Amino acid sequence: MVDFHHSSDSEALDSDEELQKAFAEGRLKSTGLNVEVAPPKQFINNVSGMKQKLEEIEQSLDWTERLDLTNDPAPPPGGGTEPTEEGDELANNDFKRELRFYRQAQASVLIGLSQLHKKGIKTKRPEDYFAEMAKSDVHMKKVREKLLEKQQNIENRDKARKLRELRKYGKKVQQDVLQKRQKEKREMLEAVKKFRKGQKNKLDFLEEKDNKNKDKGQKKDKQDKLHQPNKKRQYKNQKYGFGGQKKRSKLNTKQSSADMSSFNIKVNQGRPGFNKSKKVSCIDILSVYIMKL
Amino acid sequence: MGKRKHKEISTNSDRVSSKKDDNEVVLEPVVNSDEPPIKQTKWTNKQRVLIFSSRGISHRARHLMIDLRTMMPHSKSESKMDRKDKLFVINEVCEMKNCNKCIFFEAKKKMDLYMWASNCPRGPSVKFLVENVHTMSELKMTGNCLKGSRPLLSFDKAFDEEPHWSLMKELFTQIFGTPNHHPKSQPFFDHVFTFSISDNRIWFRNYQILEEDGSLAEIGPRFVLNPIRIFEGSFGGATLYQNPKYVSPNLHRRLLRRQVAQKYVNRVQSKKSLEERKPEFTYTSDVTDDVFVTIQPEDSKQNG
Repeated sequence: MVDFHHSSDSEALDSDEELQKAFAEGRLKSTGLNVEVAPPKQFINNVSGMKQKLEEIEQSLDWTERLDLTNDPAPPPGGGTEPTEEGDELANNDFKRELRFYRQAQASVLIGLSQLHKKGIKTKRPEDYFAEMAKSDVHMKKVREKLLEKQQNIENRDKARKLRELRKYGKKVQQDVLQKRQKEKREMLEAVKKFRKGQKNKLDFLEEKDNKNKDKGQKKDKQDKLHQPNKKRQYKNQKYGFGGQKKRSKLNTKQSSADMSSFNIKVNQGRPGFNKSKKVSCIDILSVYIMKL
Repeated sequence: MGKRKHKEISTNSDRVSSKKDDNEVVLEPVVNSDEPPIKQTKWTNKQRVLIFSSRGISHRARHLMIDLRTMMPHSKSESKMDRKDKLFVINEVCEMKNCNKCIFFEAKKKMDLYMWASNCPRGPSVKFLVENVHTMSELKMTGNCLKGSRPLLSFDKAFDEEPHWSLMKELFTQIFGTPNHHPKSQPFFDHVFTFSISDNRIWFRNYQILEEDGSLAEIGPRFVLNPIRIFEGSFGGATLYQNPKYVSPNLHRRLLRRQVAQKYVNRVQSKKSLEERKPEFTYTSDVTDDVFVTIQPEDSKQNG
């Protein structure tokens, strides 16, 4: 894109003569759209002038008079890596930016104070030195109160959160208990229905199940386990006792084929469907159930 | 607990031995009580800064100015300058007050704050746009320092890289640094001014030195300076440097408004283009197509 400048006598640029002149000079492109582009803006940067001025205003003073330090930020605590964000991203990232300034100040403080100590100048204010401060006492009191208030807020929020969680947990536990009760009720009714329709012959669902049975069973097993013979004795019994080894003995003997313990009439000989002879009155069952509840 | 001023009163009345090192104290055998006691050390670096503003300044800028005056014991104040006076009048004001440095705040449209920092009789001056002003009295600034204690000045390494930054650094050192043994200054070192360069701007922070190992708390104020131009003379003269990345706040607002307006303009344009693109007839239909349509018996039943 060729840019063409205003003529010195400020004629209209769109006039034919101007265009012809520009084309003759070769400033116009032969194809495409010619758009006028403003000349790039020149920014003044008078380096020599600035350096001269700097020399003029420079004072030859001791460092203790000026107290200026130029340094890099101190390395961040823990990791020794500097964040590599520069310019725009750093300016937008508030936290990192402030940290960088803080570290720069820290480095300066460490260097500056050590230099002052070398010159024998006292830097730390003693405890009994009372003087006017930049901010008044009243203001500092307000600041302290604000900080306390913030801490208090955080604590309150934590407490409220814990309470909410506890309530949620309690609610959950309550729901679990209700669900369990409903389940038990449902199971009881189903068992009653089954019994009514003759699918079950025992009334064992009326008794309090599970826990108590388990306890009794466990007790029995425990008693047996206490009076067991020694392991070595058990092994010997298994190998040689009660008529010797069972491994290579006969399987289909007269005794084994006449064994009827694994025969169940209901499964093997009962009619498919329900057993009609086992009907019991509903009222009896329900009354027992209600009393149980 | 009350805070009272604790002045250091020296009992050295020796004037003859001024040629010796000022820290050395040599008492004469006979002391006259008529002679006033001379301060043990002399204030040689005579920097006086005039801090004032123009009319139409906002409350935040005014508090910033007051904070700067509190922080710098070598500063002098002046009443507001009328805006119709030209800027070189400030040089005369400075001379009248016997100041050799000046910080001048200018507010335009009650929104934009500009700051001039200049070396008064002959030296360079810089114009800045001040952004992100936070004053000392904000409750998040928890630090405190002695009023008038000398600050340590901390500059970013980037100040040494370009000549315009070095010039500004020298100017800041002379303006913000409290001179040694200034009569209003306090002896100990408990705060540090930080000047850093980020995003082509100068960020100013003021920290209190809590412990000698480097833990700091911010005192305030804090502001950001966006350099506009450096002039050769004080409040005038040839331009030495012009910031290419500077966008005036007016232009900035205009661009923002244009972006928002662009949304509306786009919508109007798209509506217009839809109207133009929309055809009047979806498809061509011939009127004579109806001629040979035979009426079905069901339809005739409705009529008849």
